[in-house]
Amino acid sequence: MRGIVSVRNLGFGLLLWLGATTTLAGEEFDRVVAPFFKAHCVKCHGPEKQKGKVTLHNVDSGLAAGKSLERWELILEVLESGEMPPEEEAERPDAAKVGAVTKWIETGLRKAVAQGGETLVAPQARRLTNFEYENTIRDLIGFRLKLTDNLPKDPEKPYHFNNTAEFMLLGPEQVDRYLENARKVMTSAIVDPEKPEVHTARREWLRHGLNRGMGLDEIGVWGNRRHSASGGMGLKSFPSTGEFVIRVQASAILPPGVKGAPLRLIMGQTLSGSTQRVEPVGSAYLDNSPDEPRVLEFRGRIENYPLTRGRMIRGNQQPDSRVITPQLLYDDGTLNDGNRNLTMPRIVINWIEFEAPVVDVWPPAHHRRILFDSPLRESDPQAYVREVIRRFASRAFRRSASEAEVNRFEQIYRLVLPELKTMESAMRETLAMVLISPQFLYHTVADGEVTNRQYELASRLSYFLWGSMPDKELMELAGQGGLDDPKVMEQQTRRLLADARSQDFVRNFTMQWMSLAKMKTVPINQQLFPRFLYYVSVGERRGTEQPYRPTIRDYMLEETTGFVGELIRRNAGVANVVDSEFAWLNQPLAAHYGVSGVEGNHFRAVPLKSEHRLGGLLTQGSILIGNGTGSAPHPIYRAVWLREAILGDDVADPPADVPALSDSAGGSAEKALTIKDLLAKHRQKESCRDCHARLDPWGIPFEHYNAIGKYQPLVPKEGARVSGFNLQTHGDLAGYADYLKTIYTERVDATARVPRGPEVNGMAGLKAFLKKDRRDEIAENLLRRLLSYSLGRDLTPRDRFAVDAMLQESATHEHRLLDMIVTICQSPLFKGTEGK
Amino acid sequence: MKTKSWYLNRRELLKGGGIALALPLLNGMSLAASSKTHPKRMLVSYFSYGAYMPNGQHGIPNPEKPHNEWSWWPCRDAGPLTFNKSSVPFEPLKEYVSYYRGLDHAGGWALGGHSSGDVFATGADMVGTQKTNSISIDQIAANAHGHQTRFASMVLGTEGGTGSYGRSKTLSHRGPGRPIPSMHKPQEIFNRLFKPYAGKGVEQVRAGLKREASILDLLMDQSRSLKNRLGHEDQGKVEEYLESIRSLEQRVERTSKWTHEPLPEIDTKGLNLEASHKDPKEYIRCMYDLVYLAFQTDTTRFASLMLESENSSQSELWNYATYVLGYKGATHDIAHKRPADYSGQWDRWRSEQHAYFLQRLKDTPEADGNMLDRTVVLWGSAHPHASHSPKNYPIHLAGGNKLGLKHGHLHSFEGDKKVPLANLFVSMLNAVDVPVKSFADSTGPMTEALA
Repeated sequence: MRGIVSVRNLGFGLLLWLGATTTLAGEEFDRVVAPFFKAHCVKCHGPEKQKGKVTLHNVDSGLAAGKSLERWELILEVLESGEMPPEEEAERPDAAKVGAVTKWIETGLRKAVAQGGETLVAPQARRLTNFEYENTIRDLIGFRLKLTDNLPKDPEKPYHFNNTAEFMLLGPEQVDRYLENARKVMTSAIVDPEKPEVHTARREWLRHGLNRGMGLDEIGVWGNRRHSASGGMGLKSFPSTGEFVIRVQASAILPPGVKGAPLRLIMGQTLSGSTQRVEPVGSAYLDNSPDEPRVLEFRGRIENYPLTRGRMIRGNQQPDSRVITPQLLYDDGTLNDGNRNLTMPRIVINWIEFEAPVVDVWPPAHHRRILFDSPLRESDPQAYVREVIRRFASRAFRRSASEAEVNRFEQIYRLVLPELKTMESAMRETLAMVLISPQFLYHTVADGEVTNRQYELASRLSYFLWGSMPDKELMELAGQGGLDDPKVMEQQTRRLLADARSQDFVRNFTMQWMSLAKMKTVPINQQLFPRFLYYVSVGERRGTEQPYRPTIRDYMLEETTGFVGELIRRNAGVANVVDSEFAWLNQPLAAHYGVSGVEGNHFRAVPLKSEHRLGGLLTQGSILIGNGTGSAPHPIYRAVWLREAILGDDVADPPADVPALSDSAGGSAEKALTIKDLLAKHRQKESCRDCHARLDPWGIPFEHYNAIGKYQPLVPKEGARVSGFNLQTHGDLAGYADYLKTIYTERVDATARVPRGPEVNGMAGLKAFLKKDRRDEIAENLLRRLLSYSLGRDLTPRDRFAVDAMLQESATHEHRLLDMIVTICQSPLFKGTEGK
Repeated sequence: MKTKSWYLNRRELLKGGGIALALPLLNGMSLAASSKTHPKRMLVSYFSYGAYMPNGQHGIPNPEKPHNEWSWWPCRDAGPLTFNKSSVPFEPLKEYVSYYRGLDHAGGWALGGHSSGDVFATGADMVGTQKTNSISIDQIAANAHGHQTRFASMVLGTEGGTGSYGRSKTLSHRGPGRPIPSMHKPQEIFNRLFKPYAGKGVEQVRAGLKREASILDLLMDQSRSLKNRLGHEDQGKVEEYLESIRSLEQRVERTSKWTHEPLPEIDTKGLNLEASHKDPKEYIRCMYDLVYLAFQTDTTRFASLMLESENSSQSELWNYATYVLGYKGATHDIAHKRPADYSGQWDRWRSEQHAYFLQRLKDTPEADGNMLDRTVVLWGSAHPHASHSPKNYPIHLAGGNKLGLKHGHLHSFEGDKKVPLANLFVSMLNAVDVPVKSFADSTGPMTEALA
């Protein structure tokens, strides 16, 4: 994003001549700007020192000619924000002098942009990201197929969006995989005329074994009996493609005070294997007693579920298999200090039924959408084939297919028909080729011939807010040329955001905006946090995250993306990013944070009280864990995150030869706690201090939040070891809690004076300051990120004034999020009419 | 679904997987054994989480102290090799191996220890000038000489796929933004390499390929017309697509030509394609065996093998040290906690597997020597243990003795003697007849490696 003291953005090899300047702007430069730089800047950014690798003794007035816009924009920004000259400088220029310089730069920038200097060359044609690709196929054929696993992963870069042309490259391996996927898609989408064989399976569990605790039809929170319903139902026979239906008769046995038990069904490889790949089938919240069992029905596509390949046993090929497993995901924070299953909620499964493919209507609707019913099919097969191709390609290309395009695909059809014999088979192959055409794989770009700007705009809007192709309504509007009307655009923007597909946008945008993915791979120190990650059946050993069960970490990602979605839904003001009156929680997460009164695993807005010490993004577990070490908070990671994700700064990477601040990933407990000393190291060297003086104070107020995202103002003494729960030593969990109190005795200091701001005490102080003094900065950052994501390119100094205009508009709506998105979609920049 | 016969064939043939076919196929070139000279081969292999280098900053042994018997470096001082407990598996191969200390890719510095594994085979400056990775050393060689074998190169790993930015699971890249997915399932690799027709007759295979070529032609046509309608900047993006289709076309053409050559006879004795991660030794050796067989049958001459990725927490590799040594913790923990007992043993275990492969090559006679004489084998990681510093990689080079490389020494490039690791890459490429003068940030060849 916008840079401050960024090595990357400031061309340090840029030596401009110091010649006489003759223009008017040059005259003012010599009179106002150059002396200012000489007096206030060159001491640190000149021939002697090049702090931040920035030099200013050698700039010239070339701005007028549109040279090095990025460099000038950065200078303008650090002057405007007051970041430079540094506040600790004794001789600081007065506001009027700074104002004169910034005015000269801004005037020059505006002129340069108007003249089109350093013109924009970002290409608009870029392939769909894997995320967009899978969504587009879903909307094209009418059901979701898991396809991205088979594609090379898209590049990721912290705090960057990957939907730009420079990231979305294409090579033969990618096209190979597209081809495999395309054939797989068409095999699923087009069926053969004759009804296929239906595979079924059923398993029942009876209430045996109640004399020994739980019946075989019961699933407990911790551990289960062998051969109980928790083992689920194995499948040895299923079709290779098609829709399945799974029915379950289930109920719950609930202890007093518990309202329901969350059931989840998964299907995939057997859980005793080494890989344990599974996919969720569906969830339900059971509040009915075994006297009133409910029959639940789940549907899905069988192709999406991992299977275990049958092995060869004594020369006999065993069949492939899958397992359907019911899970009880109840978690109210109670730890397992013995087998107390009977005091916790239990789920009763009477039976599970499986059936696939579903053939009530044959051929299924998704098939008839492509090979539609028509008398033409018999009377004029060629016209029918052409019409099938035209309809499918027009949807796949997100604009009407041209006559030439239909001709080519018809040629392919005729080429393959003799060998493939049936229309279904030949059409599968033909339409698979549509799905590897550039018109499908690349974003829609107006070309003035077969694609006009309206179709480009319809696609831009739907890929922005849905991560997928436009629907019928958008396509019709584009066909009528209606999308230039700001009222229509506003109405469409709101419609798309109200659709469930917008959750895909929010998730994808938020994950990249805040660089969230890393929180899943931070190795949590299990000595310090023995209870955080694991699912343990019986007994008290440390465990690891199981790939087949959601953990608190997964819920935390849902918390953050769901929170942002809720802010948009509520059209909340941008200050909510920093602090909010609600949190987005489910029961397990609420228990983790110590918020009571939340039941069930679905997420909802929970009103907050000040003692919860939550609200906004800064205190969410996903951010605190992702920017910690797994053992301890990490003030520098958190400071970098705050400046990059929230304030919109571009924080330069540390020099490569600096040893990492803490070597604590998986390290011993005592080592992990000496961050303060390590921080002090930074202040010893001048080269470190320059950057860290501006960085570290932002991270200190986070110190009351530990490495697993909990408020914890006390830490163990230097060098103290923390042992995990041990039944012999601690007796029970209360005993363990008492033990922890004797260890966590030292109060953490979370007071810091933030750069160009007051001293803030802890998170509450930091939030208050940000809300009050940095709201506009935060709004600008969010607007720039949304805009950049929507356009699929990085913003440049040329966009500066367009952004300014949008910001002014947004300010009139108090920077409310939904309104901000509408403003972006109505802007000339988004519509592609800028400068036209 | 009723599988059409040709469908399967073509699937098998076209499936890119890790087997990348290089361009261009020179017309009129006779295929198998196209030259009288013996093949020149190269393997690039990688292990993760660094290696144990106690007694000294940044993994450079302290000259004041005696050498640690478990250090990954076989000896303390530069010069003729002597072996310690960690490196002793290579003692029988002394004349065929060299150690290089103090080398690294400047492009990896700012990536941090783990992520610098991404650029091990490319040297790309991913943080600075390039946003994505660039072409890897094996693909440069494959582009030059890959047309002489059925497969231009072979890209293997233990976890499969490409991984993502900073967490690569492949060493090989065709170019910027074009990682080549690695293959990691022994049976699948074996089938693709040695049974590419999936049991179908050659005529059937050819007919399928012919139709494939016609379809790709038609796709090319209409993509060209799309390209011509676009603006200048956008044309470049569509050109990427056209190049990809063109290379698929060439692959079809190439596969078709190779149907005229008999498939190699494979001696599968001792090959366990069912090997699983639960038995790391069996599995890793199986992967090495597949490379060996591909080389021995001249099915390909260039391979990469990511023995471990830098982000294995989701895979069984995470448990390897537990399975192998009974270590109570993740394999990655060894790099941080550096337990004296396990660190060295873990390195030694890896050395044993690598030495097994080298020994197999050495034990196979070829012309006036053995296969190792004509195979350049790089083995290393993108950081020493300490802090995952992206400086001073553990680097081990073997073989190629009859390709102009010399061995038997530890070379040291500390302080002002420092040169880029890419210099070694230049010399490796030159050894397999790729006459490049530079690679990534190289400043010249690695004269120390040359006979």
